[in-house]
Amino acid sequence: MRSQSVGWLFLAPTILILFVFGVWPFIYVMVISFFDWNSFAADPTMRFSGVQNYRALVFDKGFLMALWNTLKFGVFAVTSQVILGYLLAQLFMKNFPLKGLFRTVHTLPLMIAPVAVGATWRLMTVPGLGPIPYYLDKWFGYEFLISRYVGQAFMTTVVMDIWHWTPLVTLTLLAALSSMPKEPFEQAQIDGANRVQTFWYVTLPMLKPAILSAVFIRLMDAMRTVDEVWMLTGGGPGSATRYIGLYIWRVVFPKTDYGYGSAMSLITLYLTIVMCWLLYAGLVARRDLKRPE
Amino acid sequence: MSGLKRMMLGAIAAGLMAGVAPAKADFWSDAGKELTGTTIRGVSESTPPSNYVKNVLAPAFTKATGINVEFEATSWDQMYDKAIKDMEANTGIYDFVYIEQDAVYGYLARDFLVDITKFIADNPKLKAPDYDPANFTTFANYFKGKDGDLFGVPMEAFIKVYLYRKDLFEDPAVKEAFKAKYNRDLAPAKNHAEYVEIADFFTQWGKDKGIELWGSTVQANTGHPASWYEYVESVAPTFGVYNWGIDASNNYAATVEHGGKMNSPEAKKALEFWVGLLKDAPPESTASTWDEVAATFGAGRAAQGLVYGENAAWIATDESKSKVVGKVGVALPPVEPGVMEAAEAGTGYIGYYDGGAFGIPHSSKNKAAAALFLQYIAQPSVQADWAVAGSRITLQSTYDDPKVQAQDAKTDGYYTLMRDQGKLFAGAPPYPFHNQVREAVAPIFYQAITGELTPSDALDQMATTAEAELTKLGYRK
Repeated sequence: MRSQSVGWLFLAPTILILFVFGVWPFIYVMVISFFDWNSFAADPTMRFSGVQNYRALVFDKGFLMALWNTLKFGVFAVTSQVILGYLLAQLFMKNFPLKGLFRTVHTLPLMIAPVAVGATWRLMTVPGLGPIPYYLDKWFGYEFLISRYVGQAFMTTVVMDIWHWTPLVTLTLLAALSSMPKEPFEQAQIDGANRVQTFWYVTLPMLKPAILSAVFIRLMDAMRTVDEVWMLTGGGPGSATRYIGLYIWRVVFPKTDYGYGSAMSLITLYLTIVMCWLLYAGLVARRDLKRPE
Repeated sequence: MSGLKRMMLGAIAAGLMAGVAPAKADFWSDAGKELTGTTIRGVSESTPPSNYVKNVLAPAFTKATGINVEFEATSWDQMYDKAIKDMEANTGIYDFVYIEQDAVYGYLARDFLVDITKFIADNPKLKAPDYDPANFTTFANYFKGKDGDLFGVPMEAFIKVYLYRKDLFEDPAVKEAFKAKYNRDLAPAKNHAEYVEIADFFTQWGKDKGIELWGSTVQANTGHPASWYEYVESVAPTFGVYNWGIDASNNYAATVEHGGKMNSPEAKKALEFWVGLLKDAPPESTASTWDEVAATFGAGRAAQGLVYGENAAWIATDESKSKVVGKVGVALPPVEPGVMEAAEAGTGYIGYYDGGAFGIPHSSKNKAAAALFLQYIAQPSVQADWAVAGSRITLQSTYDDPKVQAQDAKTDGYYTLMRDQGKLFAGAPPYPFHNQVREAVAPIFYQAITGELTPSDALDQMATTAEAELTKLGYRK
């Protein structure tokens, strides 16, 4: 009995922090989402509106567009990061000159704050000043103008995210590759498996937990991307890079539509959870179900 | 007693009397005595006038009073974000905040601000001898409440002016080529058709000469409200569309169908004109806010443009920042027929009279120190250098200062234009819902810039969306 009390005592600070900074704000946001509350409205008080905010979301073209853009962004960025991250991890498994230096330099983007990454990429892409539009024009005669061309802006945000976060995937997969036992590979070699078969039937299954962890982390991050994109494009041109995090920020802060923004946040959280669950169910749980007794 | 002795005694007596009488210069140290060591915090947009306060006036105030000033000059978005959050949550982080002219109505509606007139009247010891609200220009009226009390001490006021490259406009070769092409003399545009011709001409001139020169600046950022503001505040009024095209007296109607003008033929013509200028604008235009437009003009990349007046001084005089020193001409913006007459009659306006004030939030914990600081920066004695550095004027007496007059000559009469023609310009409409309506319609507006929507379709959608938002906010019944 006494040991239980001591345990709770030690846990108390964590529980308190979790409640103050996690549970209570979540409940607060949930409650607000059922109210019509804009502090700059004719009536700035909170008025109960039932599920009106949730209903309005279904018809909000801006929200749906932001959601769709975010999904596209997430799929493009995360898929590229996993493929590139795996290739780099395999590269780092081999020995080559200046490997240590290359690995350190490759990891540097991880240490940079997202807002600084956005600012750096903005400087690199701003017309009349940035090297990217300058050299694309000089060498290829290609007009690179992310403040005007929707496709260019979208792809630049994807490339920026890949540049920033691929090292995380690389390090995750490198750790997984380093800890793999040699025996299955030796066995595959004895059985006459070629490189593709070895990758498909040996490396990939053993790497799957690490890949899934990386995908979950990166996908959740992609769903809440704000600062990098805000610095680079401000969500433009038009709504091309107005991803869901940025859209929610605009609704809640400049627009001060707290009730609607709260509903949007909760729906986005719910969709993120559902997406991760579907991914888990599709890639892991289904395989477990198929496994013979 | 010899004359010399009499003079010496007289001088001594005068010196003693001066020592006994409360000198104006001592007011600040006397007033600051009880508050020495206090630190006041303020937030403002990083602009030339604000940076002057941060770098010059705040340290001078600290030296005079012993009151420390932490002055945060940040981006426009961040400034609003921080100030509003602080005042809404009543946290008291800031003791004075920048109130842009268009934001004051929202702040007053929310009762964020201290009535400065009343506060000083209630605390006569804090009244600085040189602080005279009657000396403010009429711009101060924007910061007054219903009873005429001041809720913000004006710190900057300027007009968004038409700048052009005087050196190019006066170049004989350029003039000759222009006359040959358009069969008229090259001069600053009086109307939009002339403006477009000049823009086309200089863009082609730049191409032909192989120089980085375009016909016009355009503040057309596709992800920042600056573009929306250039259109509604500086372009639409020159076509006779005022107050964003929203008729506050008619149930806040925005659509033509309900009596508004946001999607009127004049508005559509205005947006077509403005979007059409992009072909004559430098490539950075779609990434430009007010700062980048000034930088573009200062870099000599545009022959003409509408530029916020706070930048006029450094563009025209500061060789460390500007490549067009001594080459800048100043004029009134081009207008459609009838608009100038309406402005002169007081029924319209031709552009934006911008600026801001510093106000004290109710949440401030150091109101007395903040009130002293606001009076300090409103003294006539500190205005001239500030006006020279930031091309802003808030006191009538500043226009007559020799330093300002000298700077006026260097800026092609910018200050004179502001004094004499400032009445033709107007601040933002008195809406408490600026951010809300802007955020609702701006994404559609950006699509007109990128070409995803035609100006006509964009304005139709914007007007409908504005009305829906105003209904949701409860202003439109």
